[in-house]
Amino acid sequence: MAPSTSTTVVNGFTLLPVSHPSSSTHYIYARQHVAPKKAEASTSKKADLPAGRTLFLVNVPPDATERELVLLFKPCGTVEKAILDFDVQESQEDDDSDSEDEKEAEEDAMEDDAGPSSKRRKVVKQEVPKVVPLPKNPQRTIRKTGLTAYVIFLDASSLERVSSLASKTRQWPVSSEEPSGLAHYSTVYKNLRPPLDSIQEHVDTYMELFEYKLAKSKQKSKYKKGEAVVDEDGFTLVTRGGAYGKTLGGGVAVATKRFQRSGETSARVRTKKDKGEKEGFYAFQRAEKQRSELINLKRKWEEDKAKVEKLKQSRKFKPY
Amino acid sequence: MALNLKRKRAGDLESRKNPKLDEVMDVNSENEEHGENESAHEDSEDSGSEGEEWNGLGKDVEMQDARNVDPSSSKSKNPAPTGEEVRAIRDATDLYRSSSFKLQIDALLPNVRPKLSRAPPLEKFLLKLHTFLMQLPAVEPQHPLEAARKLLKKGVAVPYCLPLPIEDTNWKVSFEKPEDITLVGSWPNKVSVKAKDGLKYGVDVAVQMPDGLFQEKDYLNARFFQKKAFYLATLANSIRNSKSGLNVDVSYESTAGDPRLTKLVLTPKADGSATDFTKLNARVCIIPTISTSSPISLHRLSPSHANIRVNSGEEGVHHPSPLYNNALLTSYSPKLHLLAMYNHIQSIPAYADALTLLRIWANQRGFGEGSKLSVKGFENAGNLWPALLELVISGEEPSSSGAVNRKPLGKGLSSYQLFKAALSCLAKHDFIKNPALVKSTATHKFPASEYQEHCSATLVDSSSLVNAFAYVPLGCIDMIRHEAWKTLQTLYSSSLAIDPFTDVFLHDHRDVATRFDIVFQVDLSKAKARKLSPHESLDFGSATNHLLYNMNAILRKALGDRIHAVVFLQPSSTSDVPSTRPLTQAYPSTSSTIFVGLVLNPTHAFNLVHLGPAADSEDTAALAEFQELWGSKSEMRRFKDGRIAESVVWDVKTADERSHVPAMVVRHILQWHFGLSEEHVQTWQSAYDSVIRLPKEIATKYVRGAGSAMGFKGAMQAFDRLVKQVKALEGQIPLSLVNISATSESLRYTSAFNPVPLTQSLAASLPPNARYLQPINIVFEFEQSAKWPDELKAIQKIKLAFFEGIATGLMNSVPGTKASVVLGSGDITDANELMDKAYLEIVTPEGWAFHARIWHNREATLLDRILDDHGPMPHVVVPKKRKQAERKGKEYLDAQEAKEVYDRRFIHAPRHHRAVAALSHQYPAFSGTCRLVKRWFASHWFLGGHVSEEVVELLCAQIFVLDGKYVGSDADIPENTLSVVPSTKERGFAMIMRFLSEWKWEEGGLYVCLYGPKKEGEGEGETGAKKVEPKASSGGVWTVATEVDKDGKVWTKGGPDGIVARRVRALAGATWSYLQTIENGTFNVQGMFIHPTQDYDFVIQLNPFVLPRYVHNIAANEGLLGKGKFANARAKDQDQDIVLPGFDPAKSLFTDLQRTYSDTFRLFADPYGGDAFGAVWDPTLKEPRPFRVLGGFSSVPVKKESEKAKDKGLVALNDAGVLGEIERLGSGLIKAVVKQR
Repeated sequence: MAPSTSTTVVNGFTLLPVSHPSSSTHYIYARQHVAPKKAEASTSKKADLPAGRTLFLVNVPPDATERELVLLFKPCGTVEKAILDFDVQESQEDDDSDSEDEKEAEEDAMEDDAGPSSKRRKVVKQEVPKVVPLPKNPQRTIRKTGLTAYVIFLDASSLERVSSLASKTRQWPVSSEEPSGLAHYSTVYKNLRPPLDSIQEHVDTYMELFEYKLAKSKQKSKYKKGEAVVDEDGFTLVTRGGAYGKTLGGGVAVATKRFQRSGETSARVRTKKDKGEKEGFYAFQRAEKQRSELINLKRKWEEDKAKVEKLKQSRKFKPY
Repeated sequence: MALNLKRKRAGDLESRKNPKLDEVMDVNSENEEHGENESAHEDSEDSGSEGEEWNGLGKDVEMQDARNVDPSSSKSKNPAPTGEEVRAIRDATDLYRSSSFKLQIDALLPNVRPKLSRAPPLEKFLLKLHTFLMQLPAVEPQHPLEAARKLLKKGVAVPYCLPLPIEDTNWKVSFEKPEDITLVGSWPNKVSVKAKDGLKYGVDVAVQMPDGLFQEKDYLNARFFQKKAFYLATLANSIRNSKSGLNVDVSYESTAGDPRLTKLVLTPKADGSATDFTKLNARVCIIPTISTSSPISLHRLSPSHANIRVNSGEEGVHHPSPLYNNALLTSYSPKLHLLAMYNHIQSIPAYADALTLLRIWANQRGFGEGSKLSVKGFENAGNLWPALLELVISGEEPSSSGAVNRKPLGKGLSSYQLFKAALSCLAKHDFIKNPALVKSTATHKFPASEYQEHCSATLVDSSSLVNAFAYVPLGCIDMIRHEAWKTLQTLYSSSLAIDPFTDVFLHDHRDVATRFDIVFQVDLSKAKARKLSPHESLDFGSATNHLLYNMNAILRKALGDRIHAVVFLQPSSTSDVPSTRPLTQAYPSTSSTIFVGLVLNPTHAFNLVHLGPAADSEDTAALAEFQELWGSKSEMRRFKDGRIAESVVWDVKTADERSHVPAMVVRHILQWHFGLSEEHVQTWQSAYDSVIRLPKEIATKYVRGAGSAMGFKGAMQAFDRLVKQVKALEGQIPLSLVNISATSESLRYTSAFNPVPLTQSLAASLPPNARYLQPINIVFEFEQSAKWPDELKAIQKIKLAFFEGIATGLMNSVPGTKASVVLGSGDITDANELMDKAYLEIVTPEGWAFHARIWHNREATLLDRILDDHGPMPHVVVPKKRKQAERKGKEYLDAQEAKEVYDRRFIHAPRHHRAVAALSHQYPAFSGTCRLVKRWFASHWFLGGHVSEEVVELLCAQIFVLDGKYVGSDADIPENTLSVVPSTKERGFAMIMRFLSEWKWEEGGLYVCLYGPKKEGEGEGETGAKKVEPKASSGGVWTVATEVDKDGKVWTKGGPDGIVARRVRALAGATWSYLQTIENGTFNVQGMFIHPTQDYDFVIQLNPFVLPRYVHNIAANEGLLGKGKFANARAKDQDQDIVLPGFDPAKSLFTDLQRTYSDTFRLFADPYGGDAFGAVWDPTLKEPRPFRVLGGFSSVPVKKESEKAKDKGLVALNDAGVLGEIERLGSGLIKAVVKQR
């Protein structure tokens, strides 16, 4: 199975064979990371994935850890960090959305996404509460196979040395800190059941942060109670509430949700007036009705016939 | 156009002058012309004349002559039907169940009738036979034994019956050429119906013996039968003779195994001659008959006459011989039957079709001949069906007592109506209590009271005096009644998964597994009746018949109201025991095994006490009879209410055993009355029980450790205790608890294994691979409060705080309780922060484990806000691109997943739980059925990974709830309905297997009336008609809808997908056909649960020592369930926590592998302690394909074919690499990964 003493290139990707475990060979595809062409997308990304010294990897083993990746590329140079499973965030940024401040909001949200454990906010504002993380033994995360990853080197020159790794099959560096297999599942089982007091602490601090952020956003918000909000074009902002909605300052009514959805004002549907013509009043109407009934009858009959005929073809009517 | 119309009007005026010939035709032609007229009117539209158009619609023009209409009108697509058509259609819809039902009947009938094109050779043969028989020389009268010896030399035994002729008999046997030869039975009337299993059509030839052969007293002591036997033997001898030129095989056959009713069977040898009717698949039966003018007087043959007068114990007392008399009367009947049937066919147009339908129905249910198990007593019941129809058509003879009797039906009924009337007569008329005598022009010779006194069940047709039910054991009559009732229910009900027509006529219902609650195989070779009445045996004509009849009657009596029917089954003709016998054999051979099937009545079937007459009762006869029936089992007992009564009590140790009570009764009776010990009576109930039970050794340890607080009852009690304890925490947690609902199969009686508690000390005594503790899922619901944060992530965190509060509170208030907060599932799905994932794990001091979650309904609103198409402000148009972007966003996907989990976990699961739990209380067999079926799904590696447990419960529920009429009602369910639903888990299991093997999920979903009857007009359009497109990888393909889940996807969203669903069907089919082998005795219950693994591409073998659930394995190796390898390992266990609720690394590995490689292979495993996974590669991945970044599978570049070839950058699956990876992911768990293909 182990080919390549020479470098293989597939679609611009360098093939890195690793043996993991020793009996079988796994192939990682590596390429220098190229920033997307779209200008605005790069703005946010540039910071995370610096062009020139970022390596893009495809088909990383599903149970790989950051540490293992760092160890794997150590021979090429010092690795600043390895990022696994980037694709979700990536696809989120594919959109060419509009305004700048929205971008900012999104970025904010992204930082929140990163979870409480890695929460390290810049201390810009006065004493932001910190969340106490839950105690946890190191454990692996098993992801979907065919995983992509980014490896960011300290130095751009390291990238060139990557191709030299491809020349022969290398042993995958197994990090001993995170167990695998049966031990992995035991660790997970223990990690999921942290001591009760630490949970208490964790939740309390989390809620503090939550309250803090809530207060912050309230402060930031343009809306003040008792004051109608009118934007520069002269539109009044209206929100839902009351029977017909309300402006924040009062005054203009807004339609109900129901009206907005369906265009109907109330649940009561007005009964329509009778049609001018009575049904079955004229002889021709009756005749017409009778005729169409008969036609329907026949149509159904023909349909049934066709159905039975079809079943007959499939020899369904041979009982035994 | 205008001109044209004017011409039409002129024509019309003319036609009006003509007198109307036919009213009906007129109406129809009116309709017809209306249609043409309309199209004409359409044509005229472009002429633009208003007046003309109006006239076009007017009544006047409608009368126009059809010939005048221009040809373009005939092109109109939907012409109104003609009068003839309308009549046909109306007839079809009014006289049948529906018009398509009629069409289906029409399509069915030709398939069961003989091909007349193949009949000519038979006719030639019959002619030849006739000439040959008429030329036969007479044989001089001689002594019967001497005559027999002469014939035996030629190789023909004379089938004399008991009492056999002796040397000093003074009458003689002789032969003369037949007086008359007639073709009788259904063949000449062209109402023959194909028999089951490729058996031949019967062509009956009645050969009338000359009156001169008989004397007046021949009705006595079987003299008539001996003379008949000699006559038959002589006929056989001459036909067999090659000089006859008939070239046929001749053999004997006895109707109903009675040697008195022996006939000759001629089967053609294939020689290609003009008289060779092999192709017709028919045989000719020669039946000797006697004319009514014979010297034997008919009045001597009434049921009360005693005509066997030999060695009866007391002098001068003769017992009546009703069966003997009936057999003699049978010799008069063939011609009379022929004439009666001919008259019916002539006078009633639908008679022939109705008779055919009835016989198809009977054949499909084993009331006829067949090489599979058929109901005893109906093998040769050819006369029964015409008699039954006659009863329906002509009504009943008015009885002397003046009771209300069956009235005659009209003659213009359709075949379907007649068929249904006959069934309803079968279902409602109690032939055992009320003899049915068909009304005839002449009065019946013998009064009904005589039949009632001497025959058990009676149906006598108008033309003859023969009782069509004479040979049928009583239990089998109960059975036909039950079947008729069942069929009527099918025809009446409108909402069934199966088409009623298919169910009634096309399905074979002869299998014992779905038909009977309990099946026994009884070996009769050692059977010996405790009390033998030689006279009755003589009356029956054959000892075996007598034994069976008696056995059935005693069982029926002993089982009483426990059953609806006790049925004896035997194939009428197999290759081992054919119904025909060679001429050298005088007596019919009988098979020594018989199958007994019970249809239980669940209201009484499992009663432990059978009460007899009171001890001080006056009626000593009843007391003696009771003691005689039960033998040693009958005891005098004093009951709580002070009564002292003779009674029978059955000892039952466990709940499982209770369902064995009817079987115990049967075993006891067979032992006591017939000396059949355990080994001669086989059932399969215990084998089924063992499938859902722990290995014995482990089970005893549990019983010792946990005592009686085990099983579902124990789990319920533990749950109730926990509810009280948590409610008592009021004040210690910020919000008060409104409700705790259960969502676990352990609390609704449907978990495959009995739930068991596990304490630390008990766990220490168990081997490590038997220490699995199944947690029980419950849901907490708190009061509404505004204190909750209005944000999803914060809500999930607050839940942690609640859990922490409850955990601390519980541990303080209830010593010995262990509670911990569990953060999630521990895999990649935990990254979803919007989803409810944390739960509280409580282990009670008794060792029960609970997993509690919190239901907060604000979550749904918040999630909907994210998922809502319109966003918070619906009138604001969101740019499409942005909407799409949001769709792909992490938040949207997370919310979608979270909402799904929320709905399933908090909305559907509790509701489902309540409905299923109610069902378990209502139907005793439901829980067992679910458990067996779950075990089946699990052991075939579907459950959990592909098929959810809830959908299995729904599938099982559908055979119990039927049309949902009795769901949730406290009223007693009618016993008849209860007999349709299975009363034992074995039958339920078989029914589900049959259903799974036949279910066409591609053509439509299933609707289960779990929450009450289906509402009118609901779901029909959606679930019924919606087709499921067979896609390879598009989630679940099963649609199982209920009232609360109209789409039917809540429990089937995750699977089975098309491939797996087809696999389920195939495996169910295999199991189903394996169930059929009950009949030939090679059946082994466990065999149905052993999974074949050779189809998998590779199999991952696990190390059974480290699987905590290995003890649940279907074929757990007891040797592997021993102690750990090292003694000191045990000591180590003592220190650490060894009760780990829900810890199942095999399951975690399975889910990880399934998720990681969802696009690479499909993985299968048994969740109940399976020690192997099987997987099948996605076949498309083996093909080289261009490299893609997000390929989703582990690949290896394909080498170029040659140096010159262009490098296309193709890659293919790196299977060796993947297998290596799997081995690494499961290191310590996996023993080996075996590549099979």
